[in-house]
Amino acid sequence: MLQAENFLFTAAMLCYFAAMIVYFVFVAVKNDKISIVAVAIQCAGFVLHTAALVCRGIGAGRLPLTNQYEFATSFAWGLCLVSLIFIFRFRFRILGAFAAPVIFLIIGYAAMQSKDVKELMPALQSGWLGFHVSTAIIAYGAFGVSFVLSIIFLLRDKMRAQGFLDSHIPNKEKLDMISYRSAALGILFLTFTIVTGAIWAERAWGSYWSWDPKETWSLVTWITYAVYLHLRIRRGWQGRSAAIFAVVGFICVMFTYIGVNTFLPGLHSYK
Amino acid sequence: MKKVWKFLSSMKFAIILLVVLAAACSLGSFIQQGKSYEYYASEYGEQVGALIIALDLDDAFHSWWFVVINGFLCFNLTFCNLIRLPELIERTKSAAEIPDFSTVSGETDDPEGAMKRLGMPAPRALSDGRLISSKNRAGLWGAWVCHLGILLLIIGFGLGQSYKQEFAAYGVAGQTREIGDTGYELTIDDFQVLLREDDTVEQYIAEITVSDPRSGESESAAISVNNPADLFGMRFYQNSTGWAARVNITKDGAPLQSEVLCAGEYIPVADKPELVIYFSSFYPDATMSGGRPATASGKLNNPAYLYQVYYMGEILGMNILYGDEPLTIDEYEVRFTEPQSYTLIAIKRDPFTPLALLGGLVVTLGLFLAFYLQPKRVWAVKNGESWTLYGECRKGGVLFTEEFLKAIKGDKTDAAS
Repeated sequence: MLQAENFLFTAAMLCYFAAMIVYFVFVAVKNDKISIVAVAIQCAGFVLHTAALVCRGIGAGRLPLTNQYEFATSFAWGLCLVSLIFIFRFRFRILGAFAAPVIFLIIGYAAMQSKDVKELMPALQSGWLGFHVSTAIIAYGAFGVSFVLSIIFLLRDKMRAQGFLDSHIPNKEKLDMISYRSAALGILFLTFTIVTGAIWAERAWGSYWSWDPKETWSLVTWITYAVYLHLRIRRGWQGRSAAIFAVVGFICVMFTYIGVNTFLPGLHSYK
Repeated sequence: MKKVWKFLSSMKFAIILLVVLAAACSLGSFIQQGKSYEYYASEYGEQVGALIIALDLDDAFHSWWFVVINGFLCFNLTFCNLIRLPELIERTKSAAEIPDFSTVSGETDDPEGAMKRLGMPAPRALSDGRLISSKNRAGLWGAWVCHLGILLLIIGFGLGQSYKQEFAAYGVAGQTREIGDTGYELTIDDFQVLLREDDTVEQYIAEITVSDPRSGESESAAISVNNPADLFGMRFYQNSTGWAARVNITKDGAPLQSEVLCAGEYIPVADKPELVIYFSSFYPDATMSGGRPATASGKLNNPAYLYQVYYMGEILGMNILYGDEPLTIDEYEVRFTEPQSYTLIAIKRDPFTPLALLGGLVVTLGLFLAFYLQPKRVWAVKNGESWTLYGECRKGGVLFTEEFLKAIKGDKTDAAS
C-alpha cells in the first residue's frame, strides 16, 4: 500500500508541475482552451493526490496527519482543493496559474521529508488529532488561496495594459471580495484548529494553552487575519492595504508551519 | 474625556491592540521564557539581558504589560458590544422594514421568481403592496457573538491563571503521596508501560486511588495519556515517567535501610546522614556510546545504575553499578535492585476551564454566523406593469451584486453600485 502511495504521490507531483507549465503557456499564448487543459491536469493531480493520501492512511493504519511529510502533503492537497473550489465557483481559471506554483512548492517540500511510517507516541493517540490537523489543512489551504488572490490584486494594476489578462482577471473589487471569502474560510477553520487543539492539549497535558511556540504563532496568525478582517471595513484601508495584510498573514501561516518547527522547537516539533 | 472614551471603545483602538498583542506574542516566542539573567546575558549580551529582565520579557505571557494589553482588549470589546447592542436589536427587529438604501436594484416582471433564483424564501406582501423577503438575520449577530466569545475566553483564561491549583505526584506502584495542601492522598495502585514489538511506547497506564483521610472516602480510576480522570473535583493526568530502583543499605552485613528512589533523588544513610547516596540515572539496557553511558533499548537486558556519593556536601565519587553489583563505602554496602518505572501524575483543579472552552466555541459560532449566514434582504416595488427589485447584503459586496443581476437576467437592470 505504501509503494502505491509512493507512486501516486510522484504522479500527483508531476501533474501539478505539468499543470503549472500549462497554466504558464495559457498566460503566454492567451488561449482559453489551454486553460481548460491546465485545470483538467490540476484535477487529475488532485485525484491522484487524494488516492495517495488514502493509500498512506490504509498503509499506516491511521490518519496520515502526524509528521512533517504527512502534514506537508496534506497542506498541498488542501490548497489544491480550495483553489479548485474557487476556480469553479467563480469561473476564475487564471487563479490556477498563481496557485499551481505554490502547490508545487509545498508538495516539493513534502517530497524532501522522510516518508517513514512510525507508530504514534501516546500523546498523538487521540480522536482530536483528526479534527485538529484536518481543520488546519483546510485553514492553511484557504489562507494560501487568499494569499494568491492578494498577490494578483497587488499586481492587477500592472496588468491593465494587457487586454487578455484584463478579461480573465476579475476587477479589483471582486478580487478583494473573493480573497476576503477565502480568508474568512481560513480564519473559521483556524479557529476550529485552535479550539480542538486546546481541548486535546487539556486532555493530553493538562493545560489547554501553554504558550508553546506553535500555539503562540497560531494565535499570531489568527490575530493577523482578524486585523485584516477589521481593516476591510475601515474606510481608506480596503483594497491594497488589506491585500498587503493578507500577504503578511500567509507569511505568518508559513512561519507557523515551517519556521516554528525549525527555529522554535516545542511540543509540536516533530523531532 | 468623551474623545478618550470614544477612542478606547473604537475599532481603531481594537486594531492597534491586536497588532501590539501579535507583536508581544511573537516577541515572547522568540525569547526563551523562564531563563535566568545569566542565560540572557550570555545569549544576547549584558545590556539586552538586563533589559529582558527589567521588561519581564523572560516571562512575557504573565507580565504586567501583557495583562494590561489584554485588559484594554476586554474593555474595548465590552464597550464595542454594549454600544452596538441597541443598533443590532433594532436591525433584527426591523427585518420587515424596507431600508432607505439598497446595494443593488433592477427591473423585473417576475419578482418572486427572481427572489427564488437568489435563494431567498418566499416573499411577504406588505400592506402597501410591496413584497419583501429576508433571510439569515442571525448573521447580523456574528461579530457581536465573536467578540463575546473572545471576552469569555480571555476572562476564563485569566481567572484560570489566577485561581487554578496545580500539583504533581510521582512514585512507583504501592506508594502513597499527599496531594499538595489539599488534605487528599494519592496511592499509585499500579503502573504499566506498554511497549510495542519495536520497543516504542504504546501507552502509559496508571491505576490510582485518591482518598480523603478526614472522611475515609476514596475513589479509584485508571488514567493514561489522553485519558485523564476526575476524582474529588480534581483532574488527574498521566504526565510523565522515569526509572526508579530500590536502594538497600547494609552496615557490617546487617540490613540498615531499604527505600525506593526515583532517578534524580538521593538518600542520606540512616545512621550517618552526612553520607548521601545520589541515584543519578538508570540505563535498562546499558551500553557505552561515545564514552558515555547510554541505553540500547527500554528493556531490562543489562540494568545499570549511575550513582554519586557525597560526604559533608563534597562529592566522594561517582560510577556505574551493573545488576546487583554492590558499592562498598567503609562498613556500608549499597545495592540497587528492583528497577521499575515510576509515574509522574499531574493534578489540576481549574473551575474556569469550561468558561474558556465556552469562549472558544462562542468565537467559532460567531465567525460562522458572520461569514456563512450573511443577512440578505430583497424587496420589490410595483412600478406600473413592472417591478423594481432592490437588494441588500452588506457583506456580499460585488459578489452579491453579480448574483442579484444574474437572478433578474434578461430584464432591464440598473445596478445601484
